[in-house]
Amino acid sequence: MKKSILASLLGGALFFANAEAPTPEQLKILKEMGVSPADVIVEEGRDYYHNLKGSTGKTCASCHGQDGANLVGAYAKMPRYYTDIGKVADVDLRIKACLEKYVGVSAKGKKGRKYIVPLAGYVATLSNEMPINIELEHPEEKRLYEYGKELWYKRVGARDFSCAICHDVLAGKRIRLQKLGAPVRDKLYAHWPAYRISKDKLWTMEDRIRGCYKSFFLFDPKKGKFDFKKNWVKKPPFYMEEIIALELYMKKAANGAKIEVPGLLR
Amino acid sequence: MKKGFLVTLLISAGIIACQPASQAAKEESQKTVAKATAQNKAKKSSKEEKFRRALGAQDKWQQACSNPVQLAPEGIDVAQFIKEMKATIKYPADGKLVGDWKKGESLALLPKEYKALYGKKGGSKKGNCYACHCGDPRIIACGNIGPSLRGYGNKGIDPKLTYDRIYNSWSQVPCSTMFRFGYHGLLSPEEIADIVAYLHDPESPINK
Ligand code: HEC
Ligand code: HEC
Ligand code: HEC
Repeated sequence: MKKSILASLLGGALFFANAEAPTPEQLKILKEMGVSPADVIVEEGRDYYHNLKGSTGKTCASCHGQDGANLVGAYAKMPRYYTDIGKVADVDLRIKACLEKYVGVSAKGKKGRKYIVPLAGYVATLSNEMPINIELEHPEEKRLYEYGKELWYKRVGARDFSCAICHDVLAGKRIRLQKLGAPVRDKLYAHWPAYRISKDKLWTMEDRIRGCYKSFFLFDPKKGKFDFKKNWVKKPPFYMEEIIALELYMKKAANGAKIEVPGLLR
Repeated sequence: MKKGFLVTLLISAGIIACQPASQAAKEESQKTVAKATAQNKAKKSSKEEKFRRALGAQDKWQQACSNPVQLAPEGIDVAQFIKEMKATIKYPADGKLVGDWKKGESLALLPKEYKALYGKKGGSKKGNCYACHCGDPRIIACGNIGPSLRGYGNKGIDPKLTYDRIYNSWSQVPCSTMFRFGYHGLLSPEEIADIVAYLHDPESPINK
């Protein structure tokens, strides 16, 4: 309900009258005022944090403190290895695990994203102003970092793309009218999760990476060459190791950058 | 004026935000937590397997290009690379390398671009040339990754070279960002011949 009102407010005369996306001036006004529509979603996350209960009767706050007291600075070090789940988790997967294991709320699929994304936004804001600090202490973290680096450069799919082609080699150029950023070189991780104005949604880095993979035209070789209908593998499933590996690679590169979330993007 | 509107917008958004989101969530969460069934797990892992298979479908040339500079790596025999890429190129059965430019235009343009120009259905996701190139001056939302194709047909370039480049750009520029349309089967030989016509025909909007 709330979201659709926001959407209609934003979708009205202001942003989508003539253009598909807001102008940089409009973005600037929002930023200057120190408020963004993303704050509404973060607020929703904060509310879940304190009030969402499942089968265990616990809330996030029961374990992690009022106002996220014990999670201050946590996001600056994520993704990292967690012994209770026995693997490296990013903020999305960590929250999913806590929801299912400790709160007792099913967090599968799209329904899960409904809680996880606002919660991720809220948890990330608890590290605002702090420098990103990925340490790579656990062997699993090191392994995934190396894997992420490999994936970053990996040319694959029916379009011979890699992350590096668009975000290192072509950084600064335009795909159609979209300017290509350099997440690794320019430490852009510092503004993720980010609110995408053109979509009226908060996106975590998982959403971003999955979106970028869609442009690769990856295909299942079991069914021959690439075919839009037969074997297009559009995106990796959420929480997959490959996504977390790429996050680890990009976020390590952003070490030292001050976290400023939620970002506000086109 | 604009600013005033913006302020009311944000204020009202703020007010709306004060309603607890947990209320809506409560009903959901009170339902018993469905344990992931074995079936669901299998579905997820098969999706993961599929994605890994797709990542594994890397050919040896892509592998050679997967380095930090994203170009043919040092020490590699470039002449051999080019020779191997050339060997993959197939030509239309009738041997005609220059087809119908109007069909070619419809392959080069996205459906929305085609519609904007001609007000009717056409276009395709296959070519997507304007993501990287400019060319037809009526299409303003064009990329600057490859050189502009404006007036390409007036340069005296051999259409066979154009055909080969579109079929397999790596037969001319190893590891190029321009993907290998024919090699990957994104475009058929006949379709590529139509695009060659789109680039070379004096009547095509590329050259007019
Ligand atoms: C029953 C207790 C419990 C509840 C309830 C719980 N968690 Fe956790 N949470 C944990 C444990 C245990 C860890 C792992 C801590 C570690 O290994 O450092 C953890 C870790 C985390 C971390 C990573 C912290 C870090 O230092 O890296 C985040 C973020 C987090 N939880 C968020 C949440 C959110 C959001 C909720 C509510 C949806 C929640 N948790 C509910 C027990 C809980
Ligand atoms: C075909 C080009 C292309 C490829 C390949 C690509 N991306 Fe992107 N990426 C984009 C575009 C375009 C945007 C900006 C989208 C926008 O502005 O709406 C983007 C945005 C991003 C951003 C956010 C940048 C910012 O401004 O904060 C990240 C991070 C990112 N991509 C990561 C990746 C990763 C990881 C891969 C490899 C899996 C990848 N991309 C592959 C085109 C690409
Ligand atoms: C992902 C970006 C990309 C796409 C999509 C793309 N190209 Fe290219 N193209 C390039 C680049 C980069 C070059 C420069 C040479 C090189 O690196 O291969 C180029 C070069 C060319 C050239 C040679 C230009 C000259 O002046 O010598 C032609 C012709 C061409 N492209 C045609 C096309 C056509 C037709 C399409 C659509 C079917 C297309 N390209 C799609 C990136 C692209």
